[in-house]
Amino acid sequence: MASRKIVAIEKKAYVSGPAAIVISLIIPGLGHILARKMGKGLLLMLSMITIIGLFLWRIKLLAHREIGFISQYVKAVDRKGFFIGFITIAIIILWFWIAKEAYQLTTKKSKGGFSIFAFVLLMFFIVGWQISEINLGRAIRELPEAWPPLSRILWPWEAAVTRATEELTASAEILVGTEDEGLPPIPPEVPGKPYIISTPNFGQLSSLDKQNNVIKGTVIHLKGKGFTADTITQIWWADSIGNEFRPRQDREYTSVLTDSRGEFTFDLVMPYRLIPPSAAGRQVHKVEAKQITEIGPFIPADPLRLTIALIIETIFMGMMATFFGIILSIPVSFLAARNIMNSSWITMTIYFITRTILNIIRSIEPLIWALIAVVWVGLGPFAGIVALTVHSVAALGKLYSEAIEGIDHGPIEALQATGANWLQVIMFAVVPQMIPPFVSFSIYRWDINVRMSTVIGLVGGGGIGFLLVQYIRLLDYKAAGIAVWFIALTVSILDYVSAEIRARFT
Amino acid sequence: MLEVKNLTKIYNDGTVALDDVSFTVKDNEFLVIIGLSGSGKSTLLRCINRLIDPTEGRIIWEGKDVTKVQGTQLRNLRRQVGMIFQHFNLVKRSSVILNVLSGRLGYVNPWKSLLYRFSSEDRAEGAAALEMVGIEDQANKRADELSGGQQQRVGIARALMQNPKMILADEPVASLDPVLAHTILGYLEKLNKERDITIICSLHYLDLVQRYATRIIGLRDGKIVWQGNNKDIRKMTDSQFKDIYGEEAERVNAGSLVGEEAEKWHREKL
Ligand SMILES: Nc1ncnc2c1ncn2[C@@H]1O[C@H](COP(=O)(O)OP(=O)(O)O)[C@@H](O)[C@H]1O
Ligand SMILES: [Mg+2]
Repeated sequence: MASRKIVAIEKKAYVSGPAAIVISLIIPGLGHILARKMGKGLLLMLSMITIIGLFLWRIKLLAHREIGFISQYVKAVDRKGFFIGFITIAIIILWFWIAKEAYQLTTKKSKGGFSIFAFVLLMFFIVGWQISEINLGRAIRELPEAWPPLSRILWPWEAAVTRATEELTASAEILVGTEDEGLPPIPPEVPGKPYIISTPNFGQLSSLDKQNNVIKGTVIHLKGKGFTADTITQIWWADSIGNEFRPRQDREYTSVLTDSRGEFTFDLVMPYRLIPPSAAGRQVHKVEAKQITEIGPFIPADPLRLTIALIIETIFMGMMATFFGIILSIPVSFLAARNIMNSSWITMTIYFITRTILNIIRSIEPLIWALIAVVWVGLGPFAGIVALTVHSVAALGKLYSEAIEGIDHGPIEALQATGANWLQVIMFAVVPQMIPPFVSFSIYRWDINVRMSTVIGLVGGGGIGFLLVQYIRLLDYKAAGIAVWFIALTVSILDYVSAEIRARFT
Repeated sequence: MLEVKNLTKIYNDGTVALDDVSFTVKDNEFLVIIGLSGSGKSTLLRCINRLIDPTEGRIIWEGKDVTKVQGTQLRNLRRQVGMIFQHFNLVKRSSVILNVLSGRLGYVNPWKSLLYRFSSEDRAEGAAALEMVGIEDQANKRADELSGGQQQRVGIARALMQNPKMILADEPVASLDPVLAHTILGYLEKLNKERDITIICSLHYLDLVQRYATRIIGLRDGKIVWQGNNKDIRKMTDSQFKDIYGEEAERVNAGSLVGEEAEKWHREKL
């Protein structure tokens, strides 16, 4: 050790101190190299080139309409003053810092520390922040607006159950037009049955003028009887071609509370409705009053039922893929085990080819395999199974082959010496050694496969992910929340179980 | 009787591990092979039960040419020859009794054995073999829970399950301390004397050689450089000794101790 230190001190730089400064100012890092600090010099040179390159690229992006560097730079400063300014100053500081260090190295004043790299790292961090469009301000600003859907995802359980409903409905016909066209009949009132009457029972719908301002239609006075007392009653409208919708008044859906006798009165502005010209002629619309009451026991709602069904599908997708993966990877793993294949150059060639193919397959993510599998076998869980199987064969093939490479040859020799045949040797000397890694890797893979199959549906590979994207696209955040909860639950249970099983087997 | 005639083994990489080796072993002998590490002891032992195929030469055992047999015949030959190893070569994760029973594999119904099933006679014999080496109480432990000495006893019990006419022991005590060495070799000697099992054993310590061998072969670089009986080895001259162990070798004190004395010496040293 001592002698090596002396040698290091005696090594002379190729250039003098001032020369190192000049060289370093022309090409940052070259001064270090000439001061026999090859690695550090190259690293600094590369960092400088990279930072400047990235910086110029960002300037160009920020000012892509400008021509000429100066005007681009000015424009970029205009748009992202802090970023451009900081990096500009930092590059200048770094430039001189490198030169100063090169001087100190050549004149043996100092060995130079790592703080220069800390500075380089800080610059990369700032550049990275800008490139990846990190926007913490936005994340905070938009939180209040994002909160309602988020809270529905976080606590979705109201959507998990539902009850059967009973509908109490009464309707009255309204003529769009004038009295002399012949008014629709008013049905007789039947005691005990819900009943609604409108006065008048004709009038004009709301309409839009040229400036798209609403011209209010006729106000009709509704009177209802025979409903459940003290209950919200929804007012619906059905147009002349039978389309039902719920009109809004002051932005709220129209509804009214019945009094203690089950009666109500309500003034409704006849809503806006565009009727296709083909349906021209006498237009009789309908106004409806509906009371929807929930009755009977709570039952699982559709989102819950679908989620459970698809979670089961997901777990089995993972299981089937693991199963096929294990079956296929066992023979493959022997081809990829060096100690099995090292007997001749032919087998060694097979070994290298197998290893290479396994490595390539493994480096492609299951999600990408799923995209390919969807093209191959169509949407659905089978595509997911194909994708996961392909990836599992590669991953397990590698793990198993390493386990095979690690087995102790002694017991094999001992068993051969007893006169056992080859199957017996395999069963008594090889299998017991293979069981622990085999079980552990297979369970681990099952864990991974279920985890992966929760997302593989995002690209159409079946399973719970498929349902989740659909709910999110429909903006049904509560249903999506149920799916998310079940995914989290399944994955963590599996994680625990798989860790427990693996712990038992080692 | 075992006759080894002009045995030569050249490994694929060109190493000549055995070079024209010839000798005979009479039934009931305790033959010890000595020699430096790399002199070819393991290769020689493995040629006898054909774990290694010799390049040239013949090995005749009980009138049969061992080098010619194949398949079932080879397995039938191997099952009569027990083997004990320096590193015991037990299946570490299997139970002691399963390791012992695996010595029986050459005799049992192969299909039944694949399910790890053995007849009650075999199991009784396994228990008896463990009793013979004094570890019947360890039968259900995992093999790797046992100490080195105990593991080698399992190795002996496994060989016993073969009902062997001959036992090959490749440095059976090299990874054990000297007291245990005597215990293990004591078992081999007992088998040799009480059950008429021929023993061929490679050893490193000269004192052990003098204590147990009835006949000795010295190997050096794959050639036999010395042969003699138990008495001859005490009269071995320095130059003969150097033939086996090379010029730099020196005889240590213990080398001249015999039997009881040697045991005492080792006990004191511990
Ligand atoms: N599988 C093998 N391939 C090539 N050379 C080997 C092999 N096994 C042993 N040898 C060589 O053969 C010679 C004899 O080895 P071995 O029989 O193990 O000697 P010993 O058991 O006396 O130490 C040594 O030079 C050794 O390196
Ligand atoms: Mg050896």
